[in-house]
Amino acid sequence: MSTIAIQNVSKRFGDKLALDGVSLDVKSGEMIALLGSSGCGKTTLLRAIAGLTPPNDGRILFDDRDVTHLPTRRRPIGMVFQGYSLFPNMTVRQNIAFPLKVRGQDARAIGRRVDELLALIGLAAHADHHPNQLSGGQQQRTALARALAPDPAVLLLDEPLSALDAVVRLHLRDEIRRIQQAIRTTALLVTHDQSEALAVADRVVVMRAGRIEQVAAPNVLYDKPTSGFSAGFIGQRNALDLPVLDGRVRLCGTSVPAPAVDTARALVFLRPEDVHRMDAGAGRRARVEARIFEGRTTRFYLKVEDEEGALDLKADWPSRDVEGLATGDTVHVGIDPRDVHVFPAATRATP
Amino acid sequence: MADLTSQAFAAVEAPLAPSRRLGRWRAAMPRGGLFAALLLAAAVLYILVPMLAVLLYSVATRWTANILPDGYTLAHWADGFADARFRTVLGRSLGLAVATAVLDILLVAPACYWQRVRNPRIRPILELLAAIPFAVPIAVIAFGLLQVSGQIVPALQGTPWLLLPAHMAVAFSFVYWSIDASMAAAGVVGLTEAARTCGAGLGATIFRVIVPNVGPGLASGAILAFGVSFNEIALVQILAGDRFETVPLYTLNLLKSTDADFNVLAVMTAVSFAITLLLSAGVVFLNRSVVDKRRAKA
Repeated sequence: MSTIAIQNVSKRFGDKLALDGVSLDVKSGEMIALLGSSGCGKTTLLRAIAGLTPPNDGRILFDDRDVTHLPTRRRPIGMVFQGYSLFPNMTVRQNIAFPLKVRGQDARAIGRRVDELLALIGLAAHADHHPNQLSGGQQQRTALARALAPDPAVLLLDEPLSALDAVVRLHLRDEIRRIQQAIRTTALLVTHDQSEALAVADRVVVMRAGRIEQVAAPNVLYDKPTSGFSAGFIGQRNALDLPVLDGRVRLCGTSVPAPAVDTARALVFLRPEDVHRMDAGAGRRARVEARIFEGRTTRFYLKVEDEEGALDLKADWPSRDVEGLATGDTVHVGIDPRDVHVFPAATRATP
Repeated sequence: MADLTSQAFAAVEAPLAPSRRLGRWRAAMPRGGLFAALLLAAAVLYILVPMLAVLLYSVATRWTANILPDGYTLAHWADGFADARFRTVLGRSLGLAVATAVLDILLVAPACYWQRVRNPRIRPILELLAAIPFAVPIAVIAFGLLQVSGQIVPALQGTPWLLLPAHMAVAFSFVYWSIDASMAAAGVVGLTEAARTCGAGLGATIFRVIVPNVGPGLASGAILAFGVSFNEIALVQILAGDRFETVPLYTLNLLKSTDADFNVLAVMTAVSFAITLLLSAGVVFLNRSVVDKRRAKA
């Protein structure tokens, strides 16, 4: 493991600025998720750290050692690619042994290390299979073992889960986190999936148009997004466009100060689980337009009778509390002003 | 070259036909099926009958009024291989074709790899070069080369040292398309990046990762180049002439002469057919193994 310092890194492709003066410090043993929509520069940043796409400006340091212009093969890294990129001519065992072989280690040490890794990823029974005989999840676990084989100081994961189907993705996501914590390697994970980023990372870096929008721990990012973009990207929120009157935004019977907003309208975010059911007489009346069962919770699409007119809100409530509630029923809802996030209009993200 | 490709296509079609008994096959086919079967049979006959005729003639004692020869002998084969001119011609053609194939692979494979991994911008240039042998008649290329070489290196005219680069240039398209397609299919860019992140240098990347994965493409490119050179006559005739007689030129010369031993000519033609057939089978086999691999992956 090692620390990574990214200092003012820029990268241009033609006249497009893929990275625009990005700076980031990664602690040793930390797992960072680079989160953003496609084209935000997250993969370019990862490839710059790998040395596959050298930056035009800025420096990259591993443990205070400048590696900006070090060839990829001399960097203490392991990398996992979206499309696996296993060597089709080699078996699982040979793939994992490859980084050790090119480093000239002796055959017995390589054999021991490969056995260790096969056990770690649970593929000992498939050691002599070729990649085309494996499922997607098995291929990506092999790729992970190959990346970990030389005990790299930095593990780079470029959308490692996005080619996999949902069940395998969740399982492998947790496995990657477990392995990363067990060996305490410094890791960077590129993803466009916010739930993946929140689940595995110590800190999440939200990127947008070649810049870093926010760096925060998952729970902080979830509760206190600092920009409309981060707020829109994280979580399935209610995103409302509301008028600002006397520096305040009013909704569902409460009013929230909008200090950062000097426009006539504001972008207001409210998480579905923060819309609460109230007793009749309290809160605002709302009509159930649709309900969608999602397991532990059920999502309700509500039409709220608010002061400013009808308001569409999504609400998530525990499924066991709402069994009798049907489409067309009337409920009463209220919100806590502390759960409302207000940002200037026109910074809305399109995740 | 034309017969090499048509044979390759015929051989590609053949495995697609059901191998079950004809009756069951016919029952399962719509009405057009019979016509298709007849067409395939006609195409096979069209290719096989002349080859069989040549082979029979090469082992016939005399072949007069009957449908089959009057008697059989291996004497023509013995005569042919005993003849110094026959052996020289065959050896020359084989040597020239092998040299063309090997040098073309050594030239094109690195260029193709470089274009994919480092410099995609040279791709239009390579594609243009690969189209020239199709767009310009070989005779025009030959006279062009004759004119240019006459001004720069007149000493090379009539020697294989002018013929070899000319054959390499004409075979280039086949080698390029074959190698480029196999590199695209193998995903050499991704494999190269993966190898680099594993700590591999250029040598390990190329010989342990890239070459094993584009092997069939290299081999089928080499086979096609061999076939182009072995069967080519226009360049040989114009650039080298009788000073460097190859198999096709020998065949032509014997056909033009009045006192030639046509049975020996049939031996040479049969040898040439056999080589071409083996090469076609090789290309089909290699391409099919690649297709199978891709199917297994899907």
